[in-house]
Amino acid sequence: MLLVNKIYSYLRFKSHNAIFDNLFGWIIVFAAVLGWWAISNSISELVMPGPLAVGKMLIDLFSDPIFLDDILISTIRVIFSVVISVIIGMLLALISKGFPITEIIVQERIKPFLNSFPSVGWAILAVIWFGSSSFSVMFVQIAILVPFCLVNLSEGLKDLDEEIIEMGRSFSRKKIKIFFKITLPLLLPHVIAAVRIAYGVCWKIALVSELFGAESGIGVIMLRAQTTANATMVFASCFAIVIIFMLGEKFIINPLARLAEPK
Amino acid sequence: MNFTARYSKYRAAHLFTILCVLIWATYSFFVEAYLMPGPWPVFIRFIEFFSDFDLIVHMLWSFFHILTAICIAFVLGFVIALLPFYVFVAKTAVDKRFTPFLNSFSGIGWTLLAVLWFGINDFTVIFAITMVLIPFTIINIREGLNQLDKEIIEMANSFTKSKWKMLKLVIIPSLYSYLFASIRISFGVAWKVALTAELFGGNKGLGYLLNLARQDFDTPLILVVILIIVIFVYTTERFIFKPVENTLAEQNAIS
Repeated sequence: MLLVNKIYSYLRFKSHNAIFDNLFGWIIVFAAVLGWWAISNSISELVMPGPLAVGKMLIDLFSDPIFLDDILISTIRVIFSVVISVIIGMLLALISKGFPITEIIVQERIKPFLNSFPSVGWAILAVIWFGSSSFSVMFVQIAILVPFCLVNLSEGLKDLDEEIIEMGRSFSRKKIKIFFKITLPLLLPHVIAAVRIAYGVCWKIALVSELFGAESGIGVIMLRAQTTANATMVFASCFAIVIIFMLGEKFIINPLARLAEPK
Repeated sequence: MNFTARYSKYRAAHLFTILCVLIWATYSFFVEAYLMPGPWPVFIRFIEFFSDFDLIVHMLWSFFHILTAICIAFVLGFVIALLPFYVFVAKTAVDKRFTPFLNSFSGIGWTLLAVLWFGINDFTVIFAITMVLIPFTIINIREGLNQLDKEIIEMANSFTKSKWKMLKLVIIPSLYSYLFASIRISFGVAWKVALTAELFGGNKGLGYLLNLARQDFDTPLILVVILIIVIFVYTTERFIFKPVENTLAEQNAIS
């Protein structure tokens, strides 16, 4: 074990650190795929499809217009749910900060209630209440995401520099003006953090929310695949979500975070 | 904050709770019972639930699934998180590949795959919950390891060469608050995942009950199951984890 560490440190020292780490990471991914391939060769396709079959299915998923529609619908739902939940979470956090009498209501009633409410519970209730529709899917997602946003934004409001707000008050008495010119810009890093967390959680629960209450989306593809014992498709839809999640993080969330950084 | 202000805040909160129940009751009056049963039928069902031995057994099975999964995830996560600490090569593999992958793989995915692999049984449920919990444990413990005081490790190194002693006497004690945080998060997440896992891959447990109730449109039972989980998660958080957290914080403050 010590020898391995020494070789590693030596190689790392000799090459450019970041490049070496990255290369090494990919070698490990490659080894994992190879291992998967070896296992899948000795087990039935029905139980453990190989990486090649899953890869083919993934390409199908992203090229067939019918599947692409489902993926697009899921993505749009996720984006809207995240935006709406951040807004609701922000409103709740602001209410509990702005009207001290509501602090316990928001922080010790609404927050723990939403936080401990199981997601499947929302999913089942939404179908009973609203039937199968995009609305019920988004209702489930928003109900699950709001507590995450609320926690983050309340923390942010707690960290706000009161002195700066007081200074703002000495310039203007308009609360709306102070909010948009001072509070919101100061809060921006926390808003981005809330968006990031909500986005990650939302993709994870997108499937749960689509299992009962949707007629389209990746969740429906997956459930259909499971009932027909199509393990390849189950795998492929899981990976599809991982891929879309990572793309969104890289091309939407990270640029947003960079924009919000204080200059 | 003075006492009266705090008191009136609590009064407002209690009023809010009562108001919510009242709105619920009024609303349930106007819609079909299967859509939204009122507080009273749900309460009666709640009492019935706890007088029915079969249903209590289902609840105990859920406890069993969750506790087993938390223990397994904790041990596995701990070992995986410690790996890069001893074998440097594993750092990128764990931090940049393994954990993000597990973290973005959805819980439902694990459940459905586990059903295909192992069939519908307790193992499937425990497997699915464990797979969801592992990344949470790893992230927390890795964070703790990154925060370790290098100086203390160096000092300990000068006292002993024994890796085991070092782990037991220095590393684990300085990780206490992170270990605690990982159990706390696991507990909250496990309850939510357990329902999904039992619903699709189990033949006992609260999630299984939820599935039956869903098929029979037995909305009161659905609400009772949800209520049990809300109460349970809230009370453990409030009466077990919060006090332990405070004690840990006090101990850290003293040392």
